[in-house]
Amino acid sequence: MNKLAAKYLRPELVPTKACQGCAIGAIENWLLQAIDEMELKQEDVIFGAGIGCVGRQTFATWGGDNFGATHGRALAVATGLKVARPDKKILLVVGDGDAASIGASHLIHAARRNVGVTVICEDNMGYESTGGQFSPTTPAGYVTNSSPYGMAEQSFDPCDVVIAAGATFVAETTAVQWRQTVKVVKLAMQNDGFSFVHIRFPCVQNFGASALGSRDPLVSMEWIYDHTKGKTDDGAETDFAWETGIKHDASNSRPEYSKVLRDLNARVRADMAAGS
Amino acid sequence: MKPRTEILISGFGGQGVIRMALILGRCAVDQGQRVTMLKSHGTETRGGYVRAQLVISPDYVDSPVVENADLFVAFSAPAYRKFYDLCSGKVLYDPEMVEDIHDDAADRHVEIPSRALARDHFDNALFANMVMLGALTRLAAMDLAVMKDVMVDVIPRAHEQNLRALDLGHGLEVVARRA
Amino acid sequence: MALSEELVAPWAEWQESYQDGQRLLEAGTYALTEGAVAAGLGVFAGYPITPATDIAEYMSKRLPQIDGYYLQAEDELAGMHMCAGASLGGQKAMTATSGPGYTLMHDAYGWAIVNEIPVVVVDAMRVGPVSGITGAPGQGEFYVSRYCSHGGNIETIVLSPNSVQETFWLTIDAFNLAERFRTVVTILTDQVVADMFEDLFLPGDYGALSDIVVPRRHNLTMPFFPADSSEIDLPPNVIGEGTGVCVSPYTHTEEGYDIEEMEAQWSQTFRLINKIRHHKDEILRYEAVGLDDAEVIAVAYGATARTVKTAVLEARRQGVKAGFLRLISLWPFPDELFERDQPYLVCELNYDGQLVREVMRAAPDKNRVHFMGKSGEMHTVAEVCEALEGVAKHQKMPQQPYIWTEVR
Repeated sequence: MNKLAAKYLRPELVPTKACQGCAIGAIENWLLQAIDEMELKQEDVIFGAGIGCVGRQTFATWGGDNFGATHGRALAVATGLKVARPDKKILLVVGDGDAASIGASHLIHAARRNVGVTVICEDNMGYESTGGQFSPTTPAGYVTNSSPYGMAEQSFDPCDVVIAAGATFVAETTAVQWRQTVKVVKLAMQNDGFSFVHIRFPCVQNFGASALGSRDPLVSMEWIYDHTKGKTDDGAETDFAWETGIKHDASNSRPEYSKVLRDLNARVRADMAAGS
Repeated sequence: MKPRTEILISGFGGQGVIRMALILGRCAVDQGQRVTMLKSHGTETRGGYVRAQLVISPDYVDSPVVENADLFVAFSAPAYRKFYDLCSGKVLYDPEMVEDIHDDAADRHVEIPSRALARDHFDNALFANMVMLGALTRLAAMDLAVMKDVMVDVIPRAHEQNLRALDLGHGLEVVARRA
Repeated sequence: MALSEELVAPWAEWQESYQDGQRLLEAGTYALTEGAVAAGLGVFAGYPITPATDIAEYMSKRLPQIDGYYLQAEDELAGMHMCAGASLGGQKAMTATSGPGYTLMHDAYGWAIVNEIPVVVVDAMRVGPVSGITGAPGQGEFYVSRYCSHGGNIETIVLSPNSVQETFWLTIDAFNLAERFRTVVTILTDQVVADMFEDLFLPGDYGALSDIVVPRRHNLTMPFFPADSSEIDLPPNVIGEGTGVCVSPYTHTEEGYDIEEMEAQWSQTFRLINKIRHHKDEILRYEAVGLDDAEVIAVAYGATARTVKTAVLEARRQGVKAGFLRLISLWPFPDELFERDQPYLVCELNYDGQLVREVMRAAPDKNRVHFMGKSGEMHTVAEVCEALEGVAKHQKMPQQPYIWTEVR
């Protein structure tokens, strides 16, 4: 176990139970690095997870207080929790199903309210714990176990959705961008408001096998790498490219949700005390 | 007071039916009575009438449903037709709104020209419900002074006219005769 | 001989203890809001729906005054998850809805139950299915409130008030049970009791209720989820105190870790079911009138019980020896109240027959359990009197318009 894991995680639940070649464990280490560089302690952070590969593999690894929500609802739980515990940083680690599909309405409204949570959306571009079906972030045309003729729908980027909804910090990275991920996660957690970090990573077992034709982790990583750059090693343009980096930064520009409510209470109670 | 007095008030939306029932109910509570008040909701309201069912008793009221009204205030012809059979007591009606009345029970009908009176005295038919409430106060043997206190507390505006309207209904000769 | 009357509920005593206060004419939704405030509510999260909307509106006004929080959720599913989150953070939490929203809450309902998170949920029932008629009362969630989550392996606590005054006290009681049993408690009310205005006594000083209000405590030590234990009055777990607690939707260990061993599954189920079953006597609440010499016992809950009680008293005046049994705690089902081998007449606001099925199961002779279902509108005193006479004198239900008597 590495030093960061020893410092922040539960020894009995590390290493991760994820499939070989999965990046969930590596990304969690990057989150720990950001937390460590911010000099946060275990008790400063509440760790919430969703359902699916990302939720299942990260749940209860954090050494401090943890919750694993029902599918898609981590943000709804966190909204109530933040109101009750505004002093804590809440870090939510969820998948593309949680964030962009079943829990999309909570994502939109948490962004609109500027709830003080950092959402790490680890996006493996499909429902992989159920065996590899397409999700709203599966690139159109790609083959999965529920799109054997190619994913027929249009996909979307959840970053666009949360920016439109009012998120105050939004960034996108991929599993091949270690330093950039650590940097944006730190910025995200320094925003006293709604932060969203979208991290694409490969599922070797399902997406790799169905969409890319190989369970070789290197094939999946290379595909991610190429689409992060927008071109392959031999200079050819990829079929599409992800725009990574900070996509929107309005950190600390408007009051966090629980603060809005506390300020409302203070105003109402002051008026009451003044007899109006 | 009787063990159980049932009052049914019905009319179109906007005539102040529910507010009238609330004032009446508050008055009864302030006089130490137990009270239930059911108000119609949504669909029934959109169906052309609003209904308030009040039960007043010195003891806890079990059924809040008015099945045999001692007093029925009909502010509209549809309300009159719809609920007439639920009343075995006095029927208060405004002849401007309810033109055709059952001729089998003339002795139970009390004609209250509330809209005409409201127009004559206040130049505004909106005070009709307070005229009617004044009449109802007397027929239900409730305390007019308490009713006035509650009315002033519940209604934010036009206290002077509303109080006079209450007096007007309360003092009607036809009401005094039937009380 | 005086008619026997019995109210078995904590507020039978509370009403005697607290006499200083004010008498108002207010709605059930108002009484419910004040009951929650008196019980120490910190967070209300919900989505407006008739006939529970007034609760949301009252809460939005009242909570900021007491430094509590009104959260208007994007849907009921979010609302109840927010409540669970707030409760985990140490606040007493509540949501309120009607049938369509109650159904949406089940995702969070199971999550709160398995994680032993105290939450109070109000369902003001209206006639259904689905949206039905928004302003008409119903009693269609009797079973839904019992089976409010998938997967089985749970017991639930459900209480039903029948008056505005009782709504106030029962709401405090619901919060107490939620704390003591570390679970979700549903207040199953209905459009009539929620919307009805009625004289309401409110204590002048809620601070003086500290003798009856169970305060929120925090469990700071292991075990967070005691296995094979039916113990109650354990402090709820809390997130944010650094205990290292883990809550999740999975079958859990005592620490809260997810586990796929059958022994853990069985231990967890033992606790979730038996913490309630082993303390049924702490939950039982009911009202009974004239059971001693009754030749027919009318059974009802909520608004229905109002007209049914008047009918029972009226039937007695007409010479029918009728008894009255009003269930206040609906779940766990009070089987022990149905040991008398007498005919039962079960009145409820649905045509399919829900409460009646449980009475048939619990009563000595299911063939003497009669059903009187109405839909969308209250039973009348006249109808119930006629039915009581029919069952008492002829052992059968009379035919009456718009009343269903068949369950099978």
